[in-house]
Amino acid sequence: MQQTFVKSNIERKPRSWLSLLDYVFYAAVVAALVGLAFYFYHYRDFVSLYFPVFLGGAGLTIFLTISSMILATIFGFIGALGRLSRFTPFRFIAAIYVEVIRGTPILVQLLLWGFGIRSALGGIGFDPYTIAYNFMTLLQNNSILPPPNVFDAAFYGIIALSFNYGAYLTEVFRTGIESIPIGQTEAALSLGLNSRQIMRKIVLPQAFRITIPPFANYFITLVQDTALLSVVGGVLEIQQLVTAAATANASDSNLQLFFYVFGAVMFFCICYPLAILARYLESRFARAY
Amino acid sequence: MDFSILPQVLPGFLQGTLNTIIYCAVSFPLALLLGVILALMSGSRYTWLRGPARIYIEVIRATPFIAQIFLIYYGLSTILFNLSGYLGGLNLAVYVNGWTAGIAALAINYSAYEAEVFRAGFYSVERGQTEAAYSLGLDARQNFFRIVFPQAIPLMIPPFVNDLIYMLKDSAVVSVIAGFELTSALETARSRLGSDIVLLFLIVMILYLALSLPTSYFARWYERKLRAAL
Repeated sequence: MQQTFVKSNIERKPRSWLSLLDYVFYAAVVAALVGLAFYFYHYRDFVSLYFPVFLGGAGLTIFLTISSMILATIFGFIGALGRLSRFTPFRFIAAIYVEVIRGTPILVQLLLWGFGIRSALGGIGFDPYTIAYNFMTLLQNNSILPPPNVFDAAFYGIIALSFNYGAYLTEVFRTGIESIPIGQTEAALSLGLNSRQIMRKIVLPQAFRITIPPFANYFITLVQDTALLSVVGGVLEIQQLVTAAATANASDSNLQLFFYVFGAVMFFCICYPLAILARYLESRFARAY
Repeated sequence: MDFSILPQVLPGFLQGTLNTIIYCAVSFPLALLLGVILALMSGSRYTWLRGPARIYIEVIRATPFIAQIFLIYYGLSTILFNLSGYLGGLNLAVYVNGWTAGIAALAINYSAYEAEVFRAGFYSVERGQTEAAYSLGLDARQNFFRIVFPQAIPLMIPPFVNDLIYMLKDSAVVSVIAGFELTSALETARSRLGSDIVLLFLIVMILYLALSLPTSYFARWYERKLRAAL
């Protein structure tokens, strides 16, 4: 009996000869990084030609992400208020919104906004570019607007992305608000606060902490989902530029593959720091006050 | 709305729905298998097992699925074509098509997410259970297969079902390579008919909802049952 216990000790120290393989792993990582650097060096002419273009695409990707996230937060907040409303019609509409959006692919929604709704609204005379142009003319700044087709594509892309993420954020905000114990509300009521004060001063500040980590994670997936805009076309974000560059060089399949690697590396360089930040926020807000 | 186009497009849509189901039904078990291996690797005490798994998971989760699917589709065919010289003219690149590349991309992408689910599931089984198992004389393998794994499974089923729904939706991206599924059927019908496309979108969204809503209700029902049992 004594021997069995000793054999399966809980400490489980690494065996020394297997630990030596760690150095093989480190060597492999260094070799892979050197290989990647050499891969990029091999295509240095194309890197110097396309990197500035892709960097512009990265800027546009970040712009699309931030503006979609702001709009999605508004949609999500309205949706959460709807889902928590006392009035059944509001609850019903919010539930339909969440279920339909979360039950269908974002790609189909992007195509719906980018082709279906765009042409349907265009048919009844709704033209976002003209409206924006007239508005910017009032501000004497209409030259900063992109060409009409680019503007329309970006407009419907941002609407589609934010409408989609609004449904996910609805659930994030709802669970955040619902996670605050009802005792807090009761205590506030007994202190004489009205329902608006309770929401603003008691529930929302506490729910805010809980919603930060999932919010940060959705931000990262939104950066990645902007790449789907390349299927609709028109907006020159990273994936669109990558696909265009790859298609233009399709005669050389190795070069074509290089562009896709390049695009993936660019997305990694944006998303990985954000993921580290999200993880930090998660551990920061997991702690007590 | 003009419903007379329905007989023209519906067979394609139903075939697309079936293909979407096949994509998920094949990719998801593969993703689970890869995921459990990755989870065990990332829980290892050796860096040479932990490191590759962590790098794989981080890289997959920090790149968009559409970039991965292009990479796998063009990467596999290019690499296999380049290798054909060494394989005595055996050109394996002819086997790279919408099915193989799509399933590989879905399985590879989702394995990283499933690995995290497995890891969280294994961690959620109390450490005391393992200690008790060791003190009863079970070895590491017996402890894993008889104590930790069976207790972790019920906790992991709701996140797995959620990820299955995500996969159902992400399989739409397979339409950008040569795969034929529901979204490709939509794109074909859209480019062929041109007018009244909102109706096409409505049908496709209803078909997607018919797949995802029952699944998500099952997940919710199971979660309620689980919470009552715990």
